[in-house]
Amino acid sequence: MNWLDLVALAPILVLLLGSTAILMVGAWWQARRPLLLSGAVVALAAALCAGFFPPPVLEVAAMYGAGPYARFFTVLWSAVAAVTLLLSLRYGEERAFPGGEYTSLVLFAAAGMALLSSATSLIGLFLGLESFTLALYILIAFHKQGVEGAEAGLKYLVLGAVATGFLAFGIALIYTASGTFHLPEAVAPLAAGAQMRPVALLGWAMLLVAVGFKVSLVPFHLWTPDVYQGAPAPVTGLLATGSKGAVFAALVTLFAGMPAGGELAPILAVLAAVTLLVGTLAALPQQNVKRMLAYSSVVHMGYVLIGLLAGGPAGRSAVVFYLVAYAAVTIGAFGVIASLADGDGEPQDYADFRGLGYRHPFRAGALAVFLFSLAGIPPTAGFIGKFGIFYAAIQAGYLWLALLGVLASLISLVYYLRPVIVLFMAEEEAPVRHPGSAEEHAALLVCLVAALILGILPGPLLDLIGAVIP
Amino acid sequence: MIELATFPLLTLLLALPLAGALACLLFAGRPAACRAAALVATLATFAVAAGLFLADGRGSGWLRFEDHAWIGRFGIRYTLGLDGLSLLMVLLTAFLLVLSVLVSWPEQKHVPLHFALLLVMESGILGVFLALDLVLFYLFWELMLIPMFFLIGIWGHGRRLYAAVKFFLFTLAGSLLMLLAILGLYLQHGEQTGVYTFALAALRATQLSGSLELWLYAAFLLAFAVKVPLVPVHTWLPDAHTEAPTAGSVILAGLLLKTGVYGLLRFGFPLFPKAAAASLPLLAGLALLGIFYAAWIAYVQADAKRLVAYSSVAHLGFVVLGLAAWNVTAVEGSILQMVNHGVTTGALFAMIGMIDARARTRQLAGLGGLWARVPVLSGFFFFFCLASLGLPGLNNFAGEILILLGTFRTQPLWGALAMGGVVFAAAYTLRLVQGTLWGEPKGEEPWPDLTVREGLILVPLAVMVLWLGLYPAPFLAPLHDPVRLLLQGGLP
Repeated sequence: MNWLDLVALAPILVLLLGSTAILMVGAWWQARRPLLLSGAVVALAAALCAGFFPPPVLEVAAMYGAGPYARFFTVLWSAVAAVTLLLSLRYGEERAFPGGEYTSLVLFAAAGMALLSSATSLIGLFLGLESFTLALYILIAFHKQGVEGAEAGLKYLVLGAVATGFLAFGIALIYTASGTFHLPEAVAPLAAGAQMRPVALLGWAMLLVAVGFKVSLVPFHLWTPDVYQGAPAPVTGLLATGSKGAVFAALVTLFAGMPAGGELAPILAVLAAVTLLVGTLAALPQQNVKRMLAYSSVVHMGYVLIGLLAGGPAGRSAVVFYLVAYAAVTIGAFGVIASLADGDGEPQDYADFRGLGYRHPFRAGALAVFLFSLAGIPPTAGFIGKFGIFYAAIQAGYLWLALLGVLASLISLVYYLRPVIVLFMAEEEAPVRHPGSAEEHAALLVCLVAALILGILPGPLLDLIGAVIP
Repeated sequence: MIELATFPLLTLLLALPLAGALACLLFAGRPAACRAAALVATLATFAVAAGLFLADGRGSGWLRFEDHAWIGRFGIRYTLGLDGLSLLMVLLTAFLLVLSVLVSWPEQKHVPLHFALLLVMESGILGVFLALDLVLFYLFWELMLIPMFFLIGIWGHGRRLYAAVKFFLFTLAGSLLMLLAILGLYLQHGEQTGVYTFALAALRATQLSGSLELWLYAAFLLAFAVKVPLVPVHTWLPDAHTEAPTAGSVILAGLLLKTGVYGLLRFGFPLFPKAAAASLPLLAGLALLGIFYAAWIAYVQADAKRLVAYSSVAHLGFVVLGLAAWNVTAVEGSILQMVNHGVTTGALFAMIGMIDARARTRQLAGLGGLWARVPVLSGFFFFFCLASLGLPGLNNFAGEILILLGTFRTQPLWGALAMGGVVFAAAYTLRLVQGTLWGEPKGEEPWPDLTVREGLILVPLAVMVLWLGLYPAPFLAPLHDPVRLLLQGGLP
């Protein structure tokens, strides 16, 4: 690694050095608010650096890309980290989170996500994945007084360790078959007639299992609702958007070199179908918003998988757009929950939201928009996202997956409408919640504007994505 | 001076209600200001629509056309077009929305949101009648769904949540399949020509194999049949109409149902001419089934609002029958009948709301003797009932006679059967009159007769009933050109 490589990694270095500095400062000066705010500033600085500071080389140490695609996701995850920190300001205050550690971990997680998204080798992929997963183990259980947080953290830890095992073993097998960690060369032994093909297939299958755990595809999704429910709401937002999105961002690079029509395609298709169906049916009876959103995230990852499977420029750009739209909307939805939380806890049961549409109109309205976006109703970002996925699926000949996606969308409306009904149409009213701080309103406004702009004028982002995808 | 010929009047039509909705949300603390803003916005929209009607009503081809790039990557464009067919629907929308605002005037619950939703819905409906890009059309199609869901769910009666969700799910089920069909057509067209576009005019040239055309058309037909509604996908309608607040019922019956028929005329038939031609007997069969089945069910209803709701299914059966007959007279009659039905059924729903406000019941068993207690209101109600059952000289007669004449010309059997439907319509309508107006008064306390606000709602409707009944020519004039083109398999 030379000087140019370091310069190319500048945005990630900003995140990491900022994270370390805030951790150090936090040890001596335990002022929560300035620490979290400076964390948000660091994240925004990293985003600006990634956006406006062109890299001198396009690949670093044959492990990480520094090109437009990597930079795109660095901007995205930095922005997600900044929003998460804004949403944690009051939330962390009321739960006496140690500011230095919390900020540092969020920034560290963002750096890990950015690295994972830009991975161009299997080693890079492993390192990126593990670095943000480590941060998340701690963040999920960050609320020390909460019993559910500890349970969630432990669940994530145990299953995460299993996934890591699969991932490491899978990578070892792939390396055995191909002799390289680098992508896309490592995919070569999957081609028909290649030597060591069975070994490579086994390796890829194990890698897929690990990925399945991380992005909670059925049948590896069972940890999701408990972890979502137990983790602090801002952390759940980060977990739902960043950790899953970054894995898919890396998969796009991975699949870009995949030979078409291999054995993996039918397996992935079945995985996507089962994920859609099981996630949808499991979300239906939920009475807890966070658990419902957990199953909904399972379903959304099914949609993303369809896009990935469809492949081609259309499929890849559909995946990336979907990830951006999903990030904006999901972090907004968990942000609303965080901003309604007070010292007594988060509103989670549907009953806690009764009639809030008229007591807290901005946040309830925003939550309704986010839910409609998750359901894919125009004119929101979610509609354009699903539109792209269905388009790619039909183009690639997966009409049956598109039909299944439509069916899942239709059923999903039932569980997305239930919170909306509770918010605006309930007879009784739940107690007034916290009025929310200015920072929370600002962060939610950003998500709301993103959800609507990406639905009404998605053109510029679509063009940008078309230019950066590998 | 702004050049009127190039001024984007169609965009203005869509923007005015949205601006009004925004004003309502900004004035959220002052209900009176919200009402005023809503009235001003709907009146301004109506003024633009009426201006277009007076200026362009006798033109041919596209009277107005706007086309801009929108989402370049998918080839989606912002294309709006106004021809005679759209013009009539736009005029009806703008007219009924002014009255809906007046109908909702006394609403006390969450006033800003109520009027904002009415106005957003107006934009959505107008967009449906103007859009010529399939994705843009789909966007407006869904946009009118969400406000109606909230209107039913928040301001509705008894089983409002059930009705609201059912309405949403039924409509979305159809429209999602339509979305897939739109994508399928888009890809097919792109593969053939290399041009990926959602423009209606371009997609019509797509070469489709017989079975593909049939599947795509079936998806479109399902989406539109749910909205019309055709039996057997009509079951959302009685619930939604009955539980909706009065303004919601007026808009549902007066406008949303028309978007289904309009969709068939504008998109379904021209995009898939062969499949559409093959489906005409099926449409006629379903329409006739609807006429009789809905009339029969309407006859036994105990709730006045539900009775009128079922009567809508029967009336829309006539409209679809006219389309299925597929000749100039019948199709023009169908389109005219859409306007007629919007006016009369809108009036009936508004009046049932007025009766409900006084009697606090809509059950026929609890009503009766209104003529003795509120004579002016009863007079209007009787008048609109007569219009609804097709009394000659009033509006519904004009539409029905055109439909029947046209149908007899090509399909005498269908026409003869439909004649029987007219008798059925008389039966349930007279039962409505009998149950509400005649008989012994059911109470003693004095009721106020027609108020000024109610008069402002009913007089324009009554004028329209007479005008459309006695001299429909100005409203048929814009239709001649579009219907001729439609029957030739084309559009402007």
